[in-house]
Amino acid sequence: MGCPGGGGVTLPRAIHGKPAWCHGLVDTAFGHPAGGDDLTGLLRPGGFGLRERQAARPAARSPLPAARSPLPGHEARPHLLADGPQFPRVFNATSGALFYAFLTHCEQVFSPALQSLLQAYAKFSGAPLIVNTINNCRRAPKGDLPVLVSEDTVVSQPAKILNFLRRQKYNADYDLSAKQGADTLAYIALLEEKLLPALLHTFWIESENYCSVTKPWFASRIAFPLSLYLPGKMSREALNRILLTKGGPPLYSLTEVEAQIYRDAKECLNLLSKRLGTSQFFFGDTPTTLDAFVFGFLAPIYKVCFPRVQLQEHLKQLPNLCRFCDDILTCYFRLTVSGHSPAGQDTADANLQKLTQLVNKESNLIEKMDDNLRKSPQHPPRKLTTLKLAAGGEESSPMSRLSP
Amino acid sequence: MNLGFLCSTAEPWPENAALYQQLKEEQILLSDNASSLAVQAFLQMCNLPVRVICRANAEYMSPSGKVPFIHVGNQVVSELGPIVQFVKAKGHSLSDGLDEVQKAEMKAYMELVNNMLLTAELYLQWCDDVTVEEITYPRYGSPYPWPLNRILSYQKQWEVRRKMKAIGWAGKTLEQVLEDVDQCCHALSQRLGTQPYFFNKQPTELDALVFGHLFTILTTQLITDELSEKVKNYSNLTAFCRRIEQQYFEGHEKDSSTTAAHSSKRSLLR
Repeated sequence: MGCPGGGGVTLPRAIHGKPAWCHGLVDTAFGHPAGGDDLTGLLRPGGFGLRERQAARPAARSPLPAARSPLPGHEARPHLLADGPQFPRVFNATSGALFYAFLTHCEQVFSPALQSLLQAYAKFSGAPLIVNTINNCRRAPKGDLPVLVSEDTVVSQPAKILNFLRRQKYNADYDLSAKQGADTLAYIALLEEKLLPALLHTFWIESENYCSVTKPWFASRIAFPLSLYLPGKMSREALNRILLTKGGPPLYSLTEVEAQIYRDAKECLNLLSKRLGTSQFFFGDTPTTLDAFVFGFLAPIYKVCFPRVQLQEHLKQLPNLCRFCDDILTCYFRLTVSGHSPAGQDTADANLQKLTQLVNKESNLIEKMDDNLRKSPQHPPRKLTTLKLAAGGEESSPMSRLSP
Repeated sequence: MNLGFLCSTAEPWPENAALYQQLKEEQILLSDNASSLAVQAFLQMCNLPVRVICRANAEYMSPSGKVPFIHVGNQVVSELGPIVQFVKAKGHSLSDGLDEVQKAEMKAYMELVNNMLLTAELYLQWCDDVTVEEITYPRYGSPYPWPLNRILSYQKQWEVRRKMKAIGWAGKTLEQVLEDVDQCCHALSQRLGTQPYFFNKQPTELDALVFGHLFTILTTQLITDELSEKVKNYSNLTAFCRRIEQQYFEGHEKDSSTTAAHSSKRSLLR
């Protein structure tokens, strides 16, 4: 799905320009165009891929296995890739081969699902990935995204990317039996057949969602004048796909088709919930390809705040699936459930501090006014118990005084 | 989906239930034959008698445009999914003994077969130029005079190609499609293992669906044998097909599609 036209490389954008859910999910928006047009220059220090690689390899299996990314002592530097073959070495379970990969992607019609899926898989299997975001599909090596570039090979479709990672011995399915591998394939087919149409509909066809969330979001990331044309084109393609695959007779109107696809999607979610049961991941204690796929499909439904959210409401009634998403987000994407990254938590703390200082100043003013009132002759002197001039230190007493 | 059948649950299964498909010898194509055989197998497994009636315009008679469809009492239901539900409403079901997780698995595998095998069959017969020219065009329009036969074939091909493009199969080569078929058969073979049926002792609608597709692939002569070779690689799948054929279709000579076929497009399972 190459898109025509030119466009700049990704420029850093302010956080407030992005929809709220991006902070809670995989935030890969910022690239530093160190090398100008060079894709290798697009590297965000402290991005999720790099932070994962700094985690130490766990010695034994913990209840929530940490990401298997063993690069101790590595520090992210924007110019790292420009050094070429000095990329840090990677040791995985089966071989000590030197490995280098980076993944480029831009938002497209499946992208929320696909990018979560591929990054989740990479984290489960321990492959070191640097995630670059580009706005222009043509900049990708084959014009087709998402794309994995590794040394000399370029791999372009999600299924092939997963196969490639497996051949490089980053295999999240290493412990699965053959039957479980077959089950994986079957469940992936179920997801694509039943859940994907409803996902497409929620993102691209439901007019309130499209106009208030999806279109502004995508348009803000794509360069003008493509931003006027591409979201509409993606929306038409999504509608086309749904009508061609699901819209045959006797369903003649779009509302009937919608009803059918949402019924199918809810049934699919119920089936997934029954299959997951009470276990942590679909096949035991360690995540596999199927977990990556399910997470990739569920996370956009779960996290994006849409005006029309019937699928999200249905998902929230299935607590084990919600718990599954939250576990993966906290464990592998290093986010708290509320959706703030640790860096975000620091800014939140800083904001809280400023707020308390403001409150203290307010309380000082109010106390002065109070003093004036007391000194005025109309009112008898009141016995004041907790009147203290807080010197900007603790915030608890002014807060308690201000509370009604 | 025909929801009107819910009001007919009180009536028992009539004797004159009929299944409609296209003409067996001259007209029917690989994918339609597979779907039809799957429904026939399912009804046999449920012990529900049905006559197979071949009509040239079966596709146009069907409420959803797809074959096969069954005519039971005053209800007309098409495609395996709705037929399974209709039969269940009448009180016959093959999957009642399964627990929730197994039902989920069964549905997932049925989607896998539809997603991979059926789409591959459609690709082969409508998007592979050699097969289209030599097999599909002559067969699809055979009941109709020129130029109607060509027009109908082109129209159907255009529709199928649009759908392939929408789901991303238009860019695939034949080798990739055959590889997908192989992957699907591998998964089915792994799931079946050494059991007689997919869910151990009793056949379910999944068994019917898999039988329909695999038997058709194995017994249909195409330009090359590549497709059937992919299935023949898995001996437990061929044994599975033979077992179901022997159990449910032998002795029902008139109704089954394993009747000695004289057309050059069929070869019996050895």
